[in-house]
Order: sequence, then structure tokens, then C-alpha cells
Amino acid sequence: MANMDSDSRHLLTPEVDHEISPGPMNIQFDSSDLRSKRPFYIEPTNIVSVNHVIQRVSDHASAMNKRIHYYNRLSTPADKALIAPDHVVPAPGECYVYSPLGSAYKLQSYTEGNGKNTSLVTIFMIWNTMMGTSILSIPWGMKQAGFTTGMCVIILMGLLTLYCCYRVVKSRTMISSLDTATWEYPDVCRHYFGSFGQWSSLLFSLVSLIGAMIVYWVLMSNFLFNTGKFIFNFIHHINDTDTVLSTNNSNPVICPSAGSGGHPDNSSMIFNANETGIQQFETWWDKSKTVPFYLVGLLLPLLNFKSPSFFSKFNILGTVSVLYLIFLVTFKAVHLGFHLEFHWFIPTEFFVPEIRFQFPQLTGVLTLAFFIHNCIITLLKNNKNQENNVRDLCIAYILVTLTYLYIGVLVFASFPSPPLSKDCIEQNFLDNFPSSDTLSFIARIFLLFQMMTVYPLLGYLARVQLLGHIFGDIYPSIFHVLILNLIIVGAGVIMACFYPNIGGIIRYSGAACGLAFVFIYPSLIYIISLHQEDRLTWPKLIFHVFIIILGLANLIVQFFM
Amino acid sequence: MKKKVLLMGKSGSGKTSMRSIIFANYIARDTRRLGATIDVEHSHVRFLGNLVLNLWDCGGQDTFMENYFTSQRDNIFRNVEVLIYVFDVESRELEKDMHYYQSCLEAILQNSPDAKIFCLVHKMDLVQEDQRDLIFKEREEDLRRLSRPLECACFRTSIWDETLYKAWSSIVYQLIPNVQQLEMNLRNFAQIIEADEVLLFERATFLVISHYQCREQRDVHRFEKISNIIKQFKLSCSKLAASFQSMEVRNSNFAAFIDIFTSNTYVMVVMSDPSIPSAATLINIRNARKHFEKLERVDGPKHSLLMR
Repeated sequence: MANMDSDSRHLLTPEVDHEISPGPMNIQFDSSDLRSKRPFYIEPTNIVSVNHVIQRVSDHASAMNKRIHYYNRLSTPADKALIAPDHVVPAPGECYVYSPLGSAYKLQSYTEGNGKNTSLVTIFMIWNTMMGTSILSIPWGMKQAGFTTGMCVIILMGLLTLYCCYRVVKSRTMISSLDTATWEYPDVCRHYFGSFGQWSSLLFSLVSLIGAMIVYWVLMSNFLFNTGKFIFNFIHHINDTDTVLSTNNSNPVICPSAGSGGHPDNSSMIFNANETGIQQFETWWDKSKTVPFYLVGLLLPLLNFKSPSFFSKFNILGTVSVLYLIFLVTFKAVHLGFHLEFHWFIPTEFFVPEIRFQFPQLTGVLTLAFFIHNCIITLLKNNKNQENNVRDLCIAYILVTLTYLYIGVLVFASFPSPPLSKDCIEQNFLDNFPSSDTLSFIARIFLLFQMMTVYPLLGYLARVQLLGHIFGDIYPSIFHVLILNLIIVGAGVIMACFYPNIGGIIRYSGAACGLAFVFIYPSLIYIISLHQEDRLTWPKLIFHVFIIILGLANLIVQFFM
Repeated sequence: MKKKVLLMGKSGSGKTSMRSIIFANYIARDTRRLGATIDVEHSHVRFLGNLVLNLWDCGGQDTFMENYFTSQRDNIFRNVEVLIYVFDVESRELEKDMHYYQSCLEAILQNSPDAKIFCLVHKMDLVQEDQRDLIFKEREEDLRRLSRPLECACFRTSIWDETLYKAWSSIVYQLIPNVQQLEMNLRNFAQIIEADEVLLFERATFLVISHYQCREQRDVHRFEKISNIIKQFKLSCSKLAASFQSMEVRNSNFAAFIDIFTSNTYVMVVMSDPSIPSAATLINIRNARKHFEKLERVDGPKHSLLMR
């Protein structure tokens, strides 16, 4: 503190632009300089206003940052006294990875290249996240498209979504001017399209999430209903004398929609009127009238939890369910045998033509079945050898395609066609097995538990994205959260009561959210970035515009089917 | 005779860290010492004029300290202007702590009965957030009771939030005798030059003595942040054997001036009208400087801390 009064030498060297130099004592700070000289990294949870050009940080975080900077200057590295202890430094935000109909789980976030996962683990994680309940609708989709067309469509959609996924992964690396280490795909969209990009990617992501949650509700009601019926029949030793069309052997397959002609209905089975006990059960345990409401009592409380990290521990159930489904399908196929006949254009009594013009229904379902574009960047970031990212992504997609093909082909081919028509394949292929079938009972129980653990996670992600952007706080108050949960649950209940066609819900929400994330944004961003680098050629432009048109067509045509 | 600020407390209660942070000194040695400080640490820091900061460890090795205490007691406790006693909130030996505290108070009563007493309940970050108010209230009541007939002001502090800075700012505020007059003059000054905000800092520690703002500011942590930034800058300057004198920060939204004011204070003026040329504001500050120095000189040497 010496020489306060004597030395009037200016200590601060002026870094000025000499043309506009206002004097030797001033330092000019250009506001854009400030942004690029920003010396610290703040976790996203502390960024409170993302709409402003300059991101604002919460005052508390900013003060703590200054404090830590200053304390670091006071002590030597060996001295531990002024190093921030763990409980004062804010914890990194929880990072969840999810595919709308697949799994959702918490991920440790690493910076680039510091991931610890081997290729095998990365491939498995991608496969696991994508695999989900859309598997139940693949046989129906194949039926809608025709057997041959179905197989070709699955392979082609796999390739198309793989290419778009590759574009998503590469999109971040093409931004050279900024540090994109922590960016996920919505951040890339915001970079190119401003706040429109951010809001639209948020909207489409919510469409996929809420569509998935509605599907989950319908399926959970279905499985709960069948499980309850199985247990009731088991306890009371009732033989299910359905008046529904079914095969007469040890592995019964039923055709629930045969009587009603087309539109599958969740109306209950008709029972012997003399059994009043059963009738009582029937009124209280109805697939579309009562069971969806019982679920409300179970799941609405779970949705209100602040942090669902408890549920992410049950992630293994998803894998087990899928593996069990594969086993189940193989087992049934072995016992039922193959029933295939190839009629190319004309439907017969029991078979569907090989080429049908309702194949867009399958593409709609597949858009959501192959969807992982919202979190593929984060998943690949954890890969130990980053140079293998593309290879691992391709392998994962091939495995997913093979799994879908396997299930679709086997269920379709083994469906007993002489007594039943192939048209009977339900949108949820487990519906084709009666509720008394033990193996499918086990499958339903697995899936029911798995869905009950993923549902709160999806609700949390929807809440974080919606409330986080509207209110800036992911838990503004219990009332906001409760109202949001009631809306989501209400939508699920309404759909379960009046339109429980999961194939329909999946294809509409898949085509809608896929439009943005799978088709339009990756291609458009690639075109723009090439144009900025003057590397845009006519073939590339035409090809990517073609992809965009395909995406639009995919969505529009869903409404005409 | 130079007046003292005694910073006392049990060994390991955080005094040295606190001293480093407030006064921007490098920590001279490892604070996790194996034994208690045998000697008192003198800091020749000009704090609020001519105050010298003395740092004391209290209650390390019992018998040794007792002896030292009794033999050197008068020496230590004479001419004390301020006693700041630091309590570690996590301490398991509350009885002993209070015992040493009372010994200090007795010594103060005998040697410097006019001294101001401040108690800091430190390391509050280690207490769970919902319990902090409760625990602090308990301690405050105990300390007030034990301190009678002397009056003590209690603060709860932690180096990991803004409470430390606020506590020391309050302490400094209470040590300035004519602070209300200072504030009124500051307000007049700010209104005349049409400034958004004017802050008066103590020179050594950049603790805010008083401030005037013409409208609500968003960031409540801004005083501590500015203080930390400038202290960090001063550390950088000292590495070049230079000393910090003044600073102007300007962008399209505002212009801020930090400059020496009186012999013991710094001033920071924030103007939100960037069209006013710097020269005008600097002239205003220079003229105000003369006025404020006169203010300090007006009070007699007995009452004023700022002029010794």
C-alpha cells in the first residue's frame, strides 16, 4: 500500500483503438469482447435467461465464482484452507438421456473425449435407449404395409434415420467459431435458427414426450387390466370361455377385433350372465372405463417428485423386458409354425397383400422407433474412443433394425392364418394372446413394472423442459407442477378411454416430432453450414431437400390413412 | 500509541483465512499448523486510519496460554479499539470457548473499557441451511448474556457466502463516528453529478462504508463482487511492484469510475448516462474529494478514526 500520494504514473496501459481514443486514462470495453473473454463456465442450471443475446448468470452463482477466483489468488496450490468444499460448490445438473418410447436414465456428463465407456457399452446404451414399447407395434405396422414392403420399409427407414442421426452428430463439429463442448442438439438448433429454433425444438420434443406418455398410459391400463383378469381367473379357477375368435390348441391366439369389424375396441368380454360375482368384477375392472382411473391414484403422486433419480435405477427392467419379448416371440413362433402365403396385390380372406398402400403407417411408427436424435450427442460423448463414434452408431442402428425385423417377421409369419386372418394382428401384439396365457402374462407384468418406472422419468423430463423454459425454474411451485401433471395424466386417461390405438398415437406423434428432429433440422442445418462454407453442391442440396420433403410427406400422409 | 484491532479466537477457528480474505494478504504459511500460535501476529495494515490489526490464537495449549495470558495480558489488551472474537460454530468445547471469551472480556474491561466488541459465529456453511437461524440465535443469546456489562454485536459468517463481507462491512460502519453525515454528503454528491450509484470503500479492505443508489439495483451481491475483483486486481498489480490507483470501466450502457477519495477511502461512481464525458465526472470527483477531506478534519482527533 505504498506510494499512494506520490506516484501519479498511470498503471493501466491503455488498450485503445487509436482512432476513437478518448484519452489515456480510459479503457474501452467492447461488449462483444466481453462475451468471448468470458473466463468461466457456469452450469446450465445457473443460467436464468436464455433468450437474451448475452446469457445471464444468476447473481448467486456469479458472486460465488468471483469469490472462488479471488480466494485462489490468495493461497498457494498446496494450501487447502481456501479451496471450496463440496457443499458450497453447486452440483452439476442432472443429465438425463431418453428416447421417447425407450428408456430414460441419468448420465454422468463428461467433457469431450473423457468418457469412460468402451465401444461395446456405448453401442449397448444406444440400443437400450431406443428399444422400447414401439416394438409392440412393429408387427401391426408390417401388417399394414404388407410383408415384403414392411421388411423393405424397416430397412430403408433404418438407413434414413441413421443418416440423419449421423448429420446430427456432425452438426456440432461444423460450428468452429464457438465452444460447443456442452451443447446438445437443441443448442445447435438455437445457434442456427435463433430462438425460433430453440422454441420449436422444445415444442417437438414435448410432442414426442407427451405422445410417449399417452402411449404408456394406454399400455399400462391394458396390461394392468389383463394382469388383473389373469389373477382373478386364476384365483377363481375360471376358464376363459371367450366368445372371441381364437385358435383351439395349447397356444391360443385370439382375434379381439373380429366381432366389431375394424375399429378395435376395449370393450369387455361377454360373460355368462348367471355369474353375478364375475359380472361385479367386470363392472369394476374394465379396460377402458375403470382401470385407467385406478392408475391415476398410483402414478400421479409419483409424478410430483422433485427428482426421479430413484426411478432411473430400474433402467435394467427395460432391457429385461425386451429380451423376454424376444424369447416369447421365438417360443411362440416355434410352437405355432410359419404361415406365409404371398399374394402380391390382392387381399385374400386370411392374408394381406405383399404391397399395400398403407405403408406410411409403418413409417410413422418407425420414425419414433428409431428416434434418438435428441440425445445422441450426449450418448456418444461418453465414448472412450471418439473416432469410433460413427462406426458405433452404425452398429447400434444395425442391431436395432435387426431386432425390429426379427420381432416383426416372426410375429407376422407365425400368426396362425388358416383360422385367423393376418388382419387380426393387433396394434399391441400382446393383445393377440388371451389374458390366460402364462407367458404373455409374465411379459405384461414385466412391461407394466418397466413402464411404471419410466413414466415418472418422462414426466420429469417434460416438466424440466416445459417449466424450465416458461418459468425459468423447474419446480416453481407445487401447483404449477400439479396442474401440468394433471393435464398429462388427463390426456392419457382420455386416450385410454376413447382411442386406445397405440399404433395410431405412435405414428402421429412420431411423424410430428420426427419431422423436426429427424428430417428437417439435420438436413437444413447441413445445407446452411455448407452454404456458409461455400461447399454446397447441387447433388447435396437436392438430396437433402428430398429428405425434408420425405419428412413432410410422412407427416401429411398420416392424416390420410 | 497506535490503536489496535484484536482478532481473537480459538486455534483453527478461521482467523487467518478471514484476515487474508478481508485484507487481501497472501496466506504466509500453512494454516493447518500443528500447534497453536505462540506469538501474536502483527499486521501493519492501515485499517481505517491508524489501526493496526493483531491476530491472536486463543485456547490452544491450555496451561501455556493461561500463563502467557496473565503475564502479557496488559500488554495485549491495552489501547484496543476493537475486539473481534471468532467462534467456530462446529466447536465441541463450547464451555471452554466461553471461558476464554470471558477472560478476554475481563481483560478488556480492565484495560480498554471503551473498546467495541464484535462476535463472529464462523463457518456457518457447515451447518444445514434450515438450522442456521436457530443455531445462530442460540449462540447470540448466550454471548449477549455472557458479555454483560459490555455490549457485543454478533454476526454469523462464512467465507463461502456474502455473510463475511457483510459482517465486516457492518463492523467498519459502526467504527466510523460521523457516518450519517458522510452518507448525507454522499447522497448530495451523487445527486449533483447525476450518478446512478456512489459507493465509499475503506481503502485497505474495500469494505463498503456507505453507499447511495438512486434506484433499485438487481444484484445484491455486487459490493462483495466489486471488492473481490479489485482486491484480486491489486494482488496482480503488486506482482509487478505497482500499486492500484484508479480505474475507469465504460461500455455503451454505463461508465464506472473507481478512484482514491480521501486518505482512507476509495470512491466508486457509476453513471448510466455514457454521454457525459469522463473528464466531467473526474473533475466532479476531484472537487468532492476536497470537501470530504474537510469533513474528516472537522471532527476532533479524539472522535474521528479516519484521521489520526
